[in-house]
Amino acid sequence: MIDIQSFSFTYKNEAEPALRDVSISVPEGGFLGIIGPAGAGKTTLARAVCGIIPHHYPGDYYGRISVGGLDPVEASLTDLSRLVGLVFQDVDSQIISTMVEDEILYGLENFGIPHAEIPERIRLALAQAGIADLQDRTVASLSGGQRQKVAIASILALRPRVLVLDEPTGELDPVSSRQVFSLLKQLRKEHGVTVIVIEQKIMLLCEFAEQLAVLDHGAVLRQGPTREVLAHAEELLALGVNCPRVTTLSRLLSRRLGRELPVCVNLEEAEETARRLMT
Amino acid sequence: MKELFQYVPGQSLLHRLNPVTKLILTIMICAAAFITSSVFFLLGLLAVDLAIGLIAGVARKTLGILRGLMKIAVFLFVLQVLLSRQGTPVFWIITDRGLLTAATVVLRLVVVCMPLALVLAVTRVSDLSNALVQVLHVPYKYAFTLTTAIRFIPQFLEEMSDIMEAQTARGIAFDQARGLKKLGMMLPLCAPLLISSVRRTDQTAAAAEIRGFSLRTSASAFRRYPFHLEDALVLGFCVLLIAASILL
Ligand SMILES: Nc1ncnc2c1ncn2[C@@H]1O[C@H](COP(=O)(O)OP(=O)(O)O)[C@@H](O)[C@H]1O
Ligand SMILES: [Mg+2]
Repeated sequence: MIDIQSFSFTYKNEAEPALRDVSISVPEGGFLGIIGPAGAGKTTLARAVCGIIPHHYPGDYYGRISVGGLDPVEASLTDLSRLVGLVFQDVDSQIISTMVEDEILYGLENFGIPHAEIPERIRLALAQAGIADLQDRTVASLSGGQRQKVAIASILALRPRVLVLDEPTGELDPVSSRQVFSLLKQLRKEHGVTVIVIEQKIMLLCEFAEQLAVLDHGAVLRQGPTREVLAHAEELLALGVNCPRVTTLSRLLSRRLGRELPVCVNLEEAEETARRLMT
Repeated sequence: MKELFQYVPGQSLLHRLNPVTKLILTIMICAAAFITSSVFFLLGLLAVDLAIGLIAGVARKTLGILRGLMKIAVFLFVLQVLLSRQGTPVFWIITDRGLLTAATVVLRLVVVCMPLALVLAVTRVSDLSNALVQVLHVPYKYAFTLTTAIRFIPQFLEEMSDIMEAQTARGIAFDQARGLKKLGMMLPLCAPLLISSVRRTDQTAAAAEIRGFSLRTSASAFRRYPFHLEDALVLGFCVLLIAASILL
């Protein structure tokens, strides 16, 4: 679905490239998690996948990207956005309306969704984001977390086949964060939506993502199935990206005992390993 | 301060009016205020402004706006009175003509600013831009620019006050400075704020673009904006207002 080959990008008037020689591919219905320290180029990568780069941000562009068969350089931003939905990291700059309802309405109107279908789409998107009760509120009266959900709902309503979310849970509490990830899982399963999530809450990410890519200084430091990437926990720690605690624990244990243990990414697996060790 | 520019949901007559009607009403009040030179007519217009606030059910906000404007108004009034040399002296260098001109200028300022803020309080910006496109056939690009600017005013003010608070915490005495001195202290803070605002608005434009901004036509909007009897009545009132400002 998404195929990025040797992609590099330097923003106009910047000396350093924001992305260097990045190659990543995600199959249809796949779930890629992206992690990395601040300034690593995660947001830039998200912009490139949905075509805002190079259509909106000029700069030096090398390599090839293909999203659902479209080339972001050749296809218009409008054609791309029928396919890819992006939830911005800076939620406040994404929201353009004063009312929650109008924000969800905006994209639906523009893409010419039949007016008879619109109320149901709004209702469903708000329900999916868990904010059905906020439909008639002003955006200004909402908390940061609620605004984040509005931004997510406004993209969900458009039902894109590829969803890119740039730190979508930054302002959310643990329960809401998990709800967002569960929703993504459901969209993948029921509609074959391809998902890319940039996330700081690594524990949560590792539980849901099939693949991980670690970015640093614009380059992919490591990528692969989540479990394999987590096996290199030292590398992640050196970057200042913390690993799930169970992973760190199982790694320490394996070193202390001097034998290979499986990499644990959640509590159940850790329990299983511990039980096996005891017997 | 930032609350002054925010939409207040409601069902009042003012909320229900066609956004274009509200815009025309605003412009006509401003026009009348500039045409007339009578202090009494200006006072009448001020009463109209206040009535609008009351009917819209935003009385508290109206008073807030009035209070905000008063600070500037008092400053301008004193300046005018001291600078005016025409007419017969009433007291020290203060003349009767000076007082009258000052009152006119200041009243005009207040009367012109209030309806702008009030209309924003009772109109969703998306309705405003939709109606501009649908009824007046304004190109959507311009309508979007206008509404985005309006949307960013509160955010800009909020960031401004955040920065000032941060600077105050570092020992810069904004709260004790007055007038020009305060302005001088605030100006250096505006540059970084403007740069971040430009980056912000740029992102907002991108956010609109990836949601089909360029596909939008006058037929896109879900809501329609027909004119009702109420609109006709308000427009009739506007005609009367202009006529009166010319005749009185
Ligand atoms: N609009 C922009 N113009 C110029 N440089 C930018 C812009 N956005 C980001 N950058 C630069 O690109 C690099 C990567 O930033 P970004 O992709 O936002 O990283 P991350 O999302 O991982 O924190 C940074 O050095 C940043 O300063
Ligand atoms: Mg980022």
